[in-house]
Order: sequence, then C-alpha cells, then structure tokens
Amino acid sequence: MATISINNIASAIYESSIGKDGAELDDIMKKAVSVISQKNLLSKSKEIIIQLEKIVDKKEGTIRAKISSKIKLNEKITNEIEDFIKKRYSAKKIVLEFEIDDKLLGGIKIEVGDEIIDTTLKNKIKKLQNYLITN
Amino acid sequence: MTKNYIVENLKKQIGNFKDEAKAEKIGHVIEVFDGIAKISGLSDIKASEMVSFPNGETGVTLNLEEDSVGVIILGDFTKIREGDEVKATGQILSVPVSNSQIGRVLNALGNPIDGKGIIKAEKSNPIEKVAPGVITRQSVDQAVQTGIKAIDTLIPIGRGQRELIIGDRQTGKTAIAIDAILNQKGQDMICVYVSIGQKDSKLRKLQTRLEEGGAMDYTIIVSAGSSESAALSYIAPYTGVSIAEFFMDQGKDVLIIYDDLSKHAVAYREISLLLRRPPGREAFPGDVFYLHSRLLERACRRNKEYGGGSITALPIIETQSGDVSAYIPTNVISITDGQIFLETDLFYKGIRPAVNVGLSVSRVGSSAQIKAMKKVSGTLKLDLAQFRELEAFSQFGSDLDEGTKKQLERGKRAVEVLKQPQYAPVKTEDQVVTLYALTKGYMDDVAVDKLKSFEEGLIEYARRNAKTFYKEVIDTKMWTEAGEAELVKAIEDFKQSTVK
Repeated sequence: MATISINNIASAIYESSIGKDGAELDDIMKKAVSVISQKNLLSKSKEIIIQLEKIVDKKEGTIRAKISSKIKLNEKITNEIEDFIKKRYSAKKIVLEFEIDDKLLGGIKIEVGDEIIDTTLKNKIKKLQNYLITN
Repeated sequence: MTKNYIVENLKKQIGNFKDEAKAEKIGHVIEVFDGIAKISGLSDIKASEMVSFPNGETGVTLNLEEDSVGVIILGDFTKIREGDEVKATGQILSVPVSNSQIGRVLNALGNPIDGKGIIKAEKSNPIEKVAPGVITRQSVDQAVQTGIKAIDTLIPIGRGQRELIIGDRQTGKTAIAIDAILNQKGQDMICVYVSIGQKDSKLRKLQTRLEEGGAMDYTIIVSAGSSESAALSYIAPYTGVSIAEFFMDQGKDVLIIYDDLSKHAVAYREISLLLRRPPGREAFPGDVFYLHSRLLERACRRNKEYGGGSITALPIIETQSGDVSAYIPTNVISITDGQIFLETDLFYKGIRPAVNVGLSVSRVGSSAQIKAMKKVSGTLKLDLAQFRELEAFSQFGSDLDEGTKKQLERGKRAVEVLKQPQYAPVKTEDQVVTLYALTKGYMDDVAVDKLKSFEEGLIEYARRNAKTFYKEVIDTKMWTEAGEAELVKAIEDFKQSTVK
C-alpha cells in the first residue's frame, strides 16, 4: 500500500481549494478534514498546515525571512534588507520576522528557508578561531 | 622580546584572515540515535557530502529523502540534540594525506591517534574516488615478495593484484599479512594496514611487532576500533585506499591490507538497517557487493604514461566454520584475483601457514613470478597434487609399488618444506635453492624430521659455494647452465658433508 505523505495531502488541499470561496471552500475544508481523520493523520495536522503554508508561499512568490540581530534595527536598514532579499530570491512578497539575540554580539543574521547568511560578530570570531587553529 | 614576537605573529596571522559573508545551507536535527541523525532542510545537498554539527562533529549524508536527510555521525553523537543547527559544507568527505603519515597510526578520519603529535596535511583526498580506468592500467608483471614459501611459489601475488586471504578464526590470516609487511623491507614498497573493528590490544601488539621488525619505517596503520561507531568502521578502508592512492600518484608501489572486510560488511549492515534501507540476504543491504567492488577496484597497476605506481590489495575475510559459500565470502572471492584459503584442520596438523594449496589460486600472479621460480614451482605443484590424490588412497593398504611410494615420500617432503614459522620470511633466491633441491630429488633420502635443519644448512652452504647461481637469479631472474652446475655441485657437496 502506498503511503500518503504530508506533502501529498497539503498539495491536494491547495490544488482543490485554489480559486474557490464561500460555501464551496467550506465544503472542501470539511472533506479535507474527514480525509485526514480517515487516514489517522489528525495528529499531524500541524505539519500539514506548515507544509500548506510552504506551498502557498512558493506559488505566490512569498519569502519568509528571519532576521536576528543584537539591537533593534531601524527602518532604513530594514528596508535595505528587504530590497536585498527581494533581489536575491526574486520574490514578490516578503514577510520579515525579527529576533533580538544578545549572544550574537553584533551584526545581523538572515535566514531564508534553509539558507543562512551569517554576518554576526559571533560567527566571525568562530571563523577566526578556526583559521588560527588550522594555520 | 618573545612576548612581542608572539603578539606580532598573532597580529600578522589575524591580518591574513579574510572573511566573506556568504549564504550557507542549514538544516535542523529531527532525531538522533545510534550514530545516525535525521535532518530536515538541507536542500540541494549532495550524497556523501560532509555536514558539520554545532559541537564540531562531522557527519556524512547517506540517504537523501523527500523531506529529510539521513546522516551518519563520525564521532561522538551523544552531544547532538534535537533541533541543533546543521551546516552543509559543500565538500565531499575527504581525508588529509601526507608523506609524514608514514610510520604513524591514524584513525578512520586520517588523524593521528598514536600520541606522536599532529601531522601537517599536504593535501586532502576524497575518500570515494572512481577507480582508474582501462587506458591508465597495465597488466600485472612484477611480484610482491611475501617471503612465505607456500605463497611465493604456488600462489604468487603480483603488484596491483587483489588477493583475498580467507579462513576461519585463528588460522593465521593476520599472520600472513604481517609477514608480508615485514618482508617488504628494502623492496621499495609502502604498506597500509587497515584495521576494521579489531580489538585495540591486538592492534597494539601488531604495531609493536612491526616496530621491532623495523617495518613501521614504511607502514601506515589506519584503525577503526571496535569501540568506535560503525560509521568509522565503514569509512576506514576508503580512508586507507585514499592514502594509498596518494603514494601511488607519486609513482610508488603500495601494499594495502584490509583486516577484515567481514567486519566492514557488518558495520555497513548496521548503518543500512538503522537508515531503514531494505535488508536482503543475511540482512545485508542490496549494495553490499558494490560496497566491496568499488573499494577493491581501486587496487591497480598504472602504466608509465599515467605515472606508474601500483596498489596491491590483500583483503581478509573471516569465514564461519569453513563456510565459503556465505554471502560476503562469495562476493569477495568473485571480486578478487584469487584467494589464499586457510584451514583449521591443517593448522592443527601443524602445517603452518595453514594454506590449502588445492583450493588457493592466484589468477594473475603467475605472470609476475620470476622465471627461475616458475621453473621450480611448476613441478612442485604437480608433486603436491599427486601426493594429495595418493595420500587418501594409500590409507587403505600398505602394498604400494615403488613408484607410488616414491611419490608419497616426495609429497611428504614438499609439505614439510612449505611449513614456515611466523616472522621468518625467506628470500626469493633461497626459496629457489630449496625448491630446486626438493624437486630434483635431492631431499628424497633425507629424513622428514631432519628436513628443516637440512634446509637451513643447505641455504647457508649454497650462499657461500654457489655464488654465481645466486648472482644470476638475483640479476637476470634465471640461472644459466654454468650456474646450475655450480648449485648441483654445492648441494651434492653439502649432502656429503652432512651424511658423515
């Protein structure tokens, strides 16, 4: 028996609900939930939603980025970062999430999907340490 | 002043350091167990790419799945937690190689474990490499002198050959390998001994033995101990052969010993089952044949145009109660260019090395044998074959004709001559003299229990009194009529002197 992956379910929900609204959409949602419960996958509903979000983001060209820094960033820098991400990933829409982390010592860290651009002081010191050990 | 110097030096070093911000691929640990980690993310990662964990451990990707990556952890996995950030390095797993690795004991990652300080790597070689192609190769035509009479005469090994040593536990498999290493002194050979899943005490004993014999001057030991994780046992032989290739690339001849590939297969089975790959025969995964064939295919003899050099591989396989038809033994037998088959029965009969000359073969080695050796070993093979046939037959009755008796006596002496204690390699020239005397019938009237001392005496006498013969065999690999006459005279003279 072929197993149904979370990815399969999420993309099925997306495909069937695209361009629908109102009562029709409600109906589809009800059906989707009953399929999930039939397959005993209700416990995985959180993962399904995350996967669904990923699919929607991908189709709509939305990029979610997490930006960590030691201090709160001002508007100018935020805009610059936004422009940079838009250009790099050719994204239409960007959702930024900010995090303040004291341990970074300085600089910023940008996380997009499974890619990371780390320009923090902490990372640089670590690299320098590595360099001094190996040379 | 020294303080200033240190500070200045450090300043310079730091000045040289350049850092560029670049995008890195990361993933997160989903689960860790038994040296295996499942990681989410890490899109675009390659197979057998190195990943680094936050505590500095490295891992190697083996399974690339739809939404996760299966990684084997090389080292301590107890400090890795769920949710840890894992970075892709973009590099295929490679090991440091260097000329100064000679004489050292290394772990499966190529780092020294003998406490003699760090080794500065000259370069790093990927552990998985495609074996040299057809056009770069040359047929085997030069011998590896193991110094073991039974092997050099009957199952000769050539440089670039893959010869399997197979047998039950406690039949002297490692002993043959060690003797072969010890005999490489002054033969322009680098030896790599890969110990897979062996007891550390055994390794220590072996290292001491090699040091005593002066063999560590040209030997590298690569060890993945039995207390280390299966992942390290799995990569150790590839590490060994990568180091061997480094020396081959310099045009040198290398002898590599894998001790033993049964444990290697078991380690790979463990990893595969943990990664939930489907089990096949004897629960080994489907690609266990490829596991060994790609390793042993890297043994080769390269032609002059491509830099020369060779890797001779001596894989060792341990059988369970003589069962050579189990999965791994049949696989490796079919991959290699012949096998040296060791038997428990022979071992306890006192025939040591316990080589079963009937079942052992060398498919390419005979072309590497020197002409003089070929001449004397040809008749020896025949003598032994006839002896085995008659031996079983003669047990039924004592009424044997003169010819049969003679053959039986000859056979007994041949078996006796091929016996050899451990750590006592015999030079090729001496082997030729002994076998010449045996096959020409000069030993027929010497009592079997006196043969050992007769042989020793004869070699010593011949060395002094048949110098032309020796010179011819060493220089031209064959004797002339004059040399032969001199040897015959020496043998007869020696017999005269011992009889009285």
